[in-house]
Amino acid sequence: MAESLSPTPSPPPEHDRRLAPRDAFQWAFDAQAARQWQQAARRWATLRAVYPDHPPVWIQAAVALRELGSHDEARHLLAEARARFETHPGGWVQGANTALADGDTALAARLLEEARQRFPDDPPVWVRSAHLALATGDREGALRFNRHARDAFPEWAPAFDQHAELAMAAGDWDSARQRWAEVRRRFPDHPPGYRRAAEVEERQGRHREARRLRLAEEHGLDWLEESDPAEPPAVAPPRRRDGRNFIDLVWTKARLNLKSEANRNHLRYLWWVIDPLSYMAVFYVVFGLLLNRGGEGFVAYLLTGLVPFQWFAKTVQHASNTIVEGRGLMNQVRISPLFFPLVAVVQNAGKQTLVFLMLAVFLLLYGLAPTVHWLALVPVVLVQLLLMVGVGCGLAMIIPFVRDLINLVPTGLQFLLFASGVFYTLDTIPERWRDLFMVNPLANLLHQYRLILLDHQWPDWSQLGWLTLGCVIGLVVVILAYRRLEGVFPRVVVE
Amino acid sequence: MNGQIVLSARDLGVRYKRRGGLFRPPRYHQAFRGLTFDLYQGETLALTGRNGAGKSTLLKVLAGILRPDEGRLINHGVTVSLLSLQAGFDPELPGTDNALLSAMLLGYTRAQARASLSRIAAFSELGAFMDEPVKTYSSGMRARLGFSVAMFLSPDVLLIDEALAVGDRSFREKAEREMNKKIHSLQTVVLVSHSESQIEKLADRVIDLQSLGGRHVL
Repeated sequence: MAESLSPTPSPPPEHDRRLAPRDAFQWAFDAQAARQWQQAARRWATLRAVYPDHPPVWIQAAVALRELGSHDEARHLLAEARARFETHPGGWVQGANTALADGDTALAARLLEEARQRFPDDPPVWVRSAHLALATGDREGALRFNRHARDAFPEWAPAFDQHAELAMAAGDWDSARQRWAEVRRRFPDHPPGYRRAAEVEERQGRHREARRLRLAEEHGLDWLEESDPAEPPAVAPPRRRDGRNFIDLVWTKARLNLKSEANRNHLRYLWWVIDPLSYMAVFYVVFGLLLNRGGEGFVAYLLTGLVPFQWFAKTVQHASNTIVEGRGLMNQVRISPLFFPLVAVVQNAGKQTLVFLMLAVFLLLYGLAPTVHWLALVPVVLVQLLLMVGVGCGLAMIIPFVRDLINLVPTGLQFLLFASGVFYTLDTIPERWRDLFMVNPLANLLHQYRLILLDHQWPDWSQLGWLTLGCVIGLVVVILAYRRLEGVFPRVVVE
Repeated sequence: MNGQIVLSARDLGVRYKRRGGLFRPPRYHQAFRGLTFDLYQGETLALTGRNGAGKSTLLKVLAGILRPDEGRLINHGVTVSLLSLQAGFDPELPGTDNALLSAMLLGYTRAQARASLSRIAAFSELGAFMDEPVKTYSSGMRARLGFSVAMFLSPDVLLIDEALAVGDRSFREKAEREMNKKIHSLQTVVLVSHSESQIEKLADRVIDLQSLGGRHVL
């Protein structure tokens, strides 16, 4: 009800030590804002003694008194206000409000009629007129006054609020919803457009829409329009990744891991050459030059065993701890735990291609030129991949449950290095142990590599076949175990 | 909220091993037990409860990340995902690579991820930083990128674990704005929050895990 407050500008006299009226009135307005009507009435009474020439001390005092129920006093003050300030609509508007509160609609109607003639340019006059019309049951009249207010003062939000409120009072919820939407369109920062509209939705049991409107008060009109439920979803994920996407993901992750690894060093990708090259050089120097053992062609024999073995060892070493290391990601997104060891296998395979290339160059320089048998490298390499996937995934699966095993992996690999015939030839093994020796899949594989690269022969297909079968069976077991353990890993890795 | 049922939990229980090994009897922490409820299409369900009550654990169960120890979760044919920020970020890689990878981990196909890259870059407001390694980012910038990636994903059921406070103030407002928009689209949401006012503003229904579990059992 704090309309029409502008005090008439009357500059204080030269030696006036009083507060400026606006500042002084704040004292009483504060009490009013806190709805301390008793206190407000007393403050206005005090102020009236000091600033009798200002409308608020009469009109606002009457508002406070009316709230306290002292209608007669309020009426008296307002009559005084109308007499003193003929150019101020407050006396009439509040007079009508007080009369209405008293139930004296005739007086209220007379006062507002006068007000409309005297102050046709004051918006509250029209809104109060509509209010009065509604109170007396004259809906038509209420709408008429309200329309005038909206037409004459399109910048004044309360007129539009009233329009919507009229529909709400009539129980016409559809119109009310539209009218509040109109309020929001015209006055996007005006809270009632959201809050009262939310109440309309609540009334109709549409709680979700009501909440959306309340949130919109915080985020603004644009948000409301953008959040229209009709908007299509952005990217809908699958229920479960299909095989193609899974492989794509493993591939992408492995590729990016390689890139990331390279970014960590100054020489970047060059390390993938330097590292195996230096490793091979050490073995060449120690075994080929210093010890000079094994006789003719020993260095080639050594390297054709060492290169595939190193590939196996690095891959298995890397893969074995990947599930434990992937605990963060595993707890964030739904992903098959196979992802983690497989990335390690692919990542190491990527680096290994360079090493194999260098081995080929070495063999060429060594006088062992490529033959048609080299084609058989493809199945041999594939079987080795299969073996590494099985062993890598298997170890990665077991280690989360028995963490201590991770300490045994390097030792195990060391043992394998000596048990796979990297440093010695097959014929140094007694005949009766040879079959047992070849049961070691890695020893078997190295033997096939050497058959192709050194002896220029086709590999032993039957041995390779058995090996493949073994790998496939092992892999199936591992994959089945992964299926069972999928929902268990995320918990085990954090325990 | 009488839509279709999308997820049903029946007597769910999860416990964590707190300690124990070869020579010590194991002790368990029961996160919750006997939890039964239905999640309806389009509703926003809030989970409350003190720390350790199992709110995040329940989200993981709903997302299919964790398998419950007891009871079962029935999915009536919907996609469910946990809103994960910065999933799988690698500090050595530039923002674009991380966005691509993170998006794929969240469930985008590579083609979808590629197609979304420009939107992600625009939403994160990182500009030329998108081509710099993530290790050069401030934590706020990293959070922005993470949020922007997750932002464009719309599973049928979205699970949110109090992850709305990201980046600086203006970005936080933007993120909250978008999040609230998401929550208020037709999407079904399960939300973990400690903020009463947030729950009041967003949730249709609240499940209080405090009353349900958090017991230590032998």
